[in-house]
Amino acid sequence: MRFLAPLVNVAIFLALAPLFEGVLRKLTAKIQSRQGPPLHQPYLDLLKLLGKERLDSAGTWPFRFAPLLAFAAILAVAAVIPFGGRANILAGRMDVILVIYLLTLGGASVLFGALAGRNAFGLIGASREMVTMIMVEPILAMTLILGAVKLGSLSLAAAVPSAAGASYGISNALMLLVYLLALQAFVARQPFDIAEAEVELLEGPFIEYSGGNYALFKYAMMLKQMFYAWLFVSVFLPFLRTGVYPLDLLIQLLAMFVVFLLIGLVGSTNPRMRIDQAVRYYAVLIAAALAAVGLGVWGH
Amino acid sequence: MWLTSKFKQIVLALKPGTVTLKYPFETRPVPKDFRGRPVWDHTKCIGCGGCANHCPARTILLRDLCQEVRVLIYDGAKCTYCGRCAELCPEKAIVMSPEFELAAPRREDFSQTLELFMLTCNRCGRCFDMEIKNAIDKLDLRGYRYDNIETRTVLRRTTDRMEPAVLDETEAARRPERIGG
Amino acid sequence: MSTNRIISSLRAEFGEAVRGSSSPAAGRLLVDLDRSRLREAARFLINRGGRYQVGVGADERDRTQTFGLIHFFAFDRERFSIGLRTAAPASDPTFDSITPDIPSAGWTEREFRDLLGMRFPGHPKPKKLITADDWPDGIYPLRKDVPYNLVPPSTADVAYQLDEAPPGTTIVPVGPFHATLHEPAHFAVYVDGETIKHCDYRGFMAHRGIEKLCQTQVSYNEVPFIAERICGICGSVHSVAYCQAVEMAAGLSISRRAEFIRVVCLELERLHSHLLLIGVAGHLIGFDTVFMHAWRIREQVMWLSEKMTGNRKTYGMVVIGGVRRDITPEMKDEIFAVLKNLEAEIASFHKAVAGDSSIHGRTKGVGKVPTEEVVLWSLLGPVARGRGVDIDARRDFPYAAYDEIAFDVPVTTDGDVWGTIVVRLLELFESIKIIRQALDKMPSGPVLTEYGEALPAFRTGWSIVEAPRGESFHYVLTGEENRPERWRVRAPTYTNLQGIPRMLRDNQFADFPIILGSIDPCFSCTDRVAVVDRRSGRKRVWTKSEMDRLSRSRS
Repeated sequence: MRFLAPLVNVAIFLALAPLFEGVLRKLTAKIQSRQGPPLHQPYLDLLKLLGKERLDSAGTWPFRFAPLLAFAAILAVAAVIPFGGRANILAGRMDVILVIYLLTLGGASVLFGALAGRNAFGLIGASREMVTMIMVEPILAMTLILGAVKLGSLSLAAAVPSAAGASYGISNALMLLVYLLALQAFVARQPFDIAEAEVELLEGPFIEYSGGNYALFKYAMMLKQMFYAWLFVSVFLPFLRTGVYPLDLLIQLLAMFVVFLLIGLVGSTNPRMRIDQAVRYYAVLIAAALAAVGLGVWGH
Repeated sequence: MWLTSKFKQIVLALKPGTVTLKYPFETRPVPKDFRGRPVWDHTKCIGCGGCANHCPARTILLRDLCQEVRVLIYDGAKCTYCGRCAELCPEKAIVMSPEFELAAPRREDFSQTLELFMLTCNRCGRCFDMEIKNAIDKLDLRGYRYDNIETRTVLRRTTDRMEPAVLDETEAARRPERIGG
Repeated sequence: MSTNRIISSLRAEFGEAVRGSSSPAAGRLLVDLDRSRLREAARFLINRGGRYQVGVGADERDRTQTFGLIHFFAFDRERFSIGLRTAAPASDPTFDSITPDIPSAGWTEREFRDLLGMRFPGHPKPKKLITADDWPDGIYPLRKDVPYNLVPPSTADVAYQLDEAPPGTTIVPVGPFHATLHEPAHFAVYVDGETIKHCDYRGFMAHRGIEKLCQTQVSYNEVPFIAERICGICGSVHSVAYCQAVEMAAGLSISRRAEFIRVVCLELERLHSHLLLIGVAGHLIGFDTVFMHAWRIREQVMWLSEKMTGNRKTYGMVVIGGVRRDITPEMKDEIFAVLKNLEAEIASFHKAVAGDSSIHGRTKGVGKVPTEEVVLWSLLGPVARGRGVDIDARRDFPYAAYDEIAFDVPVTTDGDVWGTIVVRLLELFESIKIIRQALDKMPSGPVLTEYGEALPAFRTGWSIVEAPRGESFHYVLTGEENRPERWRVRAPTYTNLQGIPRMLRDNQFADFPIILGSIDPCFSCTDRVAVVDRRSGRKRVWTKSEMDRLSRSRS
C-alpha cells in the first residue's frame, strides 16, 4: 500500500486539477454575472488540445522537450508530497530542497520553451517569468524553511504537515499572511499573470505552443495551482486532521476548494500589475518572509 | 481605499445575479419593430422596383425577361437590414420580420425570388407610381430594369419601353475588374 | 476674434493672395487663397488660436482643370470654423507641406499623396499611408478617371519600410492581428527593455473605398446608411454628420422634432460607446470583472435602442431631411424608465471603480501628455478633455438641438489615461441629463421634412459632430448626379492616432494596450477611404503546407 501512495497522489492530482480550474472559471463567471462554462470544461479543453495539430515552430529539441519537463516536474512534486497528511514511501528519501528544486525546474522549463520558441512576445514573457521566479521562489523557500527551522529537519515527511503544528507562533502567522499575499503570484493569476498577459503578450511564453504540447503546459499549470493550494492547507491549517487517511484527504480537498474560491475572488477583482509594480510588491513580501524565518529561528 | 473599492465591486457583481442566457435554449423576445430579415409578399407586390432603386447595399435586383415577366431577386447575403425597402414599398408588400438567426449553409438560402406578371398599360407600357414624396428619391429611375441576375450586377438602364436589344446587351454584363477593361 | 476680424486680418496680412471669401452658413467661412502663401496662412491661423481639423483634397480637373485642397481650422472659443481653399493646376499638383508647423496635418497630406497624386515638398515623413504596399505608382484611386472597383495586379515582396530603430532598441510587432487591436492595424513598437522609445504605425488595412463609392455609385439618401456603417460603434454620428453637411450645403432646414430625436440617438450612442470603452479599458489592464459589468450595464442601452429604432447598433434613423421613426409617448416613458435604472447602476459602478487604488496603479501617470502638446497634436474628445483641453463640439459648434440643452463638459487636468476614463464616466451622467431634457423639450411636429426639388449642385457644407471619441468632421460638396461630388470623412481616431507615438514615448510596454485603448481607437472609422485591397490578381496559389511554412518562418 505504501508503494501505491505516490501513484494515488499523482492520480488524484491528475483527476482533480482540471476540476479546480473549472471551479475558478465558474466562480469568475458568477462574479461577472455570466453563466460561465460547465465545471468539466477544462477536461474538454485539454482533450480538444490533445486532438489538435502540434506545431513545432522552433524545430529544436528544447522546444519539444520543455512541456514534458514542466509536466514531469510537477508530477514528481505531486508524487512525493504527503497528501492527505500521510507520508509516503518516497518521503523518507526526499527533502524540502528537492521540492523547491522540482518547482523551480517546472518554472525553468517554461523559460526554456519560451527561449527556444524565439518569439518576440515569448521572449518578453520569458524575461517577466524569470523576474517573477527570482522574486517568488524565495517566498516559497522561506515558507518551507520556516517549518524546517522549527523542527530542525529538512525532511518533507516531518517538515510540511507539522511545520506549524509544532507551535503556531507569530512567525507562522506572519508567514501565513505573506503566503496569502503571494498566493496569486504562485498560481500566476491576476494580478500577477504578468508573464502571460493576454492583451499585450498573448500568453507570452506559451505563444508558440499548440496541440498536445500546449495541453501539457496547461495541465502543468493546473497541477501547480493545485499544489500551492495544498501547500497552504497542509502548512497553515495542520489542525484539520483526524488521523484517518480518507477523511483527512477529504478535509484537505475541501479546504483546497476554499483556497481556490479565494484565488478566484481575488483574481477576478483585481487588474493585472505591471512588472515593475509587482517587483516592488514581491520585495516587501520577501522582506516579511525573511523576518518570519528570523522570528522562527529566534523561537516565536 | 482598496478594500472599500473591492467590497463595492463585489456588491456590484453580486446584486444583478446571472444575466446571460443559455442561448440558444433560452432566448430574449424580439421587440415589436425590430428590423430582421425582409420578407416579400408576392400577392401584394406590384413590381414597381422602388425597393431595388433605394437599396443602399444593392441587394435587390430586377430583370425584365420580357414585356410581361419581371423577376425580383433579393440577395440576402449582402443585406444590411436597414429596412429602407419596407419603408418605401407603396403596397406594404415588404415586412421586416423578427427573424435574425439567419445562418445558412448556402448563399442561395438567403435569397428570395419573385416572378411577377406585369400588365401592360395602353398608354405608357407600364404603370406604377412609386409614391415617393421625397424630391431626391423622385429623381431616381423608373421603368424597365436590366440587372444581370447571374453575376449579381446592378444595371440601371431603364427606358420607357422594353428593349430586347438592351436585354441582349446586358446578358453578359460584368463589373469591370481592371483598368481599361 | 470674430469671423469678420479674421477675414480682415487675413486680407491685411496676405493682401492679394486672398482671392475671396464666403460664408456658406453661420459660423462657417471659406477663404480662397493663392497656394504660394498656404503654409504661412496656416501658421497664421494656428498662431491666432486655431485648431487644425483636417484637409480635403479633390480632383476638380473636369470643372476647373485643378486639384483642390482645403485645410480646415476650428476656432473653438469663437465658435467658427474656417477653410483655407486653394488649388493647383492639374499639371503640377504641388502644395507646400504644412506638417512641419502642424504635426496633425501629416496624415491628411500623406493621404492625398496616395489617393490624388498631390505632392507636398517639405513633408517630414513622406511615406505611404493608405494604399497597399504593392499598389502601383501612378494610379491614384480617388482621381475621377480611376474606376471605383479597380483591382490592380498585386506584386509580392513589397513591404512597408519601418522607421529606423533608435539605437539599442528592439522592435515588437503589435498587429496586424493582436489581442489588443480589435481591428487590423500594425504598430511597430520600439522597446528598450520594457520601455517604449518610438512607435511606427502602418494601418489602413481594411480600406473599403467608401468615399469613392459614394461619390460615384449611390445616391444622396443611400449614403446615410453607408455612412452609418463606417463605424461599428458611432454609426449614427457619421450619418448625422453627413446629413447635416448635405443639409447645410443645400440650405435645407429640418423639423425641430427631428433634431431632438437626432440628439437622443447621438446621446444613446455616446452612452453605449463610453460604457463599451470603460469595459474594454478594464479588460486591457486585465480587470475583466469591470469589463463584464460595464457591458452588462451597457446592454440596457442596446435593448432600448433596439426597441426605439429597430436595431441594437445600426439605428438607421437618420436620412437627409430628418429621421425615419418618431418617438411615441409610450417609448418616451420607457426611455425615462431605462434612464432612471441606468443612472443608478452607473452611479454604483462609478463608486466601485473610481476609488480603486489597484486601477489607479495601472492608469495614473500613464500616457501623460502635457496640455501644450495636446493642442499641438490637435487631440480630440475625451483624450483632450482628460488632459485639460476644454473642447466639445456640442457646446462650441451647436448642431441639431444642442443649443437648447444645458449640460456640463467635464474636464480633468490629470493628463493621463485615468483622466480620459474619468471624463468618460462623468460624461455618462451628462448624456443621461441631455436625453431627459431632449425628451422634455421636444416639440410636436413631423419628423421628416420633404422638399420639392433637386438639391443644388456644387455647394459646400461641412458639419462637426461630437462623437463619443471626439469631433467627427464631414465635408460635402454637392454634385449633379443626385450624389455628392466630394464627401470627406474625418473620424476623431484619425487625429488621435497620430498622437499615439507621443503618448507612448517612455512608457512601459505593458501599458501599450491601455494607452492605445484610451483613445478608444476605431480603425474602421480611420480606414474608410481608398480602394479595396483585394488580392484577387495574385498569380501564385500557395498550398496549405507552403503557407504554414511561410507563416512560421521568420523573415
